[in-house]
Amino acid sequence: MRCVGRSLYEIAAGCFLGTLVVLSLEVPASAQSSPVAQVKTVSGAAVIVRGAQRLAARTGDPLFEKDTIETGKDGSIGITFIDNTVMSAGPNSELALEEYRFDSSNFNGAMLTDMRNGTLSVVSGDIARSSPGAMKIRTPKAILGVRGTKFVIKARGK
Amino acid sequence: MTVRWIWLALLILVAQAGCGPKALIVVLPNADGSVGAVTVDDGHDPVLLDHAYAAGAVTGGKVETKTATRQEVRETFGKALAAQPILPSHFQLYFISDSDVLTSESELRYRRVFEDIKRRPVYQVEVVGLTDTVGDRAYNQELSAKRAAAIMERLVADGVSREAISIAGRGELDLAVPTGPQVSESRNRRVKITVR
Repeated sequence: MRCVGRSLYEIAAGCFLGTLVVLSLEVPASAQSSPVAQVKTVSGAAVIVRGAQRLAARTGDPLFEKDTIETGKDGSIGITFIDNTVMSAGPNSELALEEYRFDSSNFNGAMLTDMRNGTLSVVSGDIARSSPGAMKIRTPKAILGVRGTKFVIKARGK
Repeated sequence: MTVRWIWLALLILVAQAGCGPKALIVVLPNADGSVGAVTVDDGHDPVLLDHAYAAGAVTGGKVETKTATRQEVRETFGKALAAQPILPSHFQLYFISDSDVLTSESELRYRRVFEDIKRRPVYQVEVVGLTDTVGDRAYNQELSAKRAAAIMERLVADGVSREAISIAGRGELDLAVPTGPQVSESRNRRVKITVR
């Protein structure tokens, strides 16, 4: 039978093609949604966790909903969202961009970030202005509602 | 027996004190001196922090409030604050009636926009064109898009990356000075520019 007689070469080629298909499927998957923020400052170790990937963060990198940012013991990172919210994290920090939507034509939107550990500085933007309760940050044991301000958070979730 | 319980209670207290709160939040004054507010909701009694250096500590029990000092903020949050990106800037440039040519004042102001972009290591620029209510809506929609495009071309010619610029035209949909139809109003003939 033909399939029994399939050569190793054919199997290897099949695997290779399969890998190519998986790779080509993965690239548009992340490009599909549009970026919600951009990395503006990086110092020391800072990583973007996107699904199973861990990417060294660089200035200019786009960030997407569901990304998580982690910094090492000497690391820090600063990001600016498309609604002009600005966040920066100090060392040993973990911040997840859980939910984000923003309509730049009417400035309405909502965001939820999860500050799991470390230190964070926040300057709120258009989303916090759009309606009360539109900007939320989760910390260990509490949820913060933000109304147009600058503030800092220290979280001890680990 | 009782002594052992007291020791155990003390040990737990010391352990908790050593760990500090699960979360600490401190409200800071904005660059212009104003202060907004943060509500801290631990599922029991939400606490409102609404003055400069108002602090809330989430412990698992009641949220403890106090006023933090500048030094405490510097010590605990210095590295996070130092990593803060340059804050976004907003500009408006104004146009000569029925054209995509800047007024002479805005011509000078354009320089400030360009310099603001150039001081940033990475940037994104949004340009939204607008018009007053003279002329019909479809025409003004087109005119507003032309105004935004003119600014983009100018920025690109000056060396700003085209990929970093997004443009939109919103015609009469966002009047700085509300007017009726067919009203010539110089403050409505503009582009709004956000640099971040």
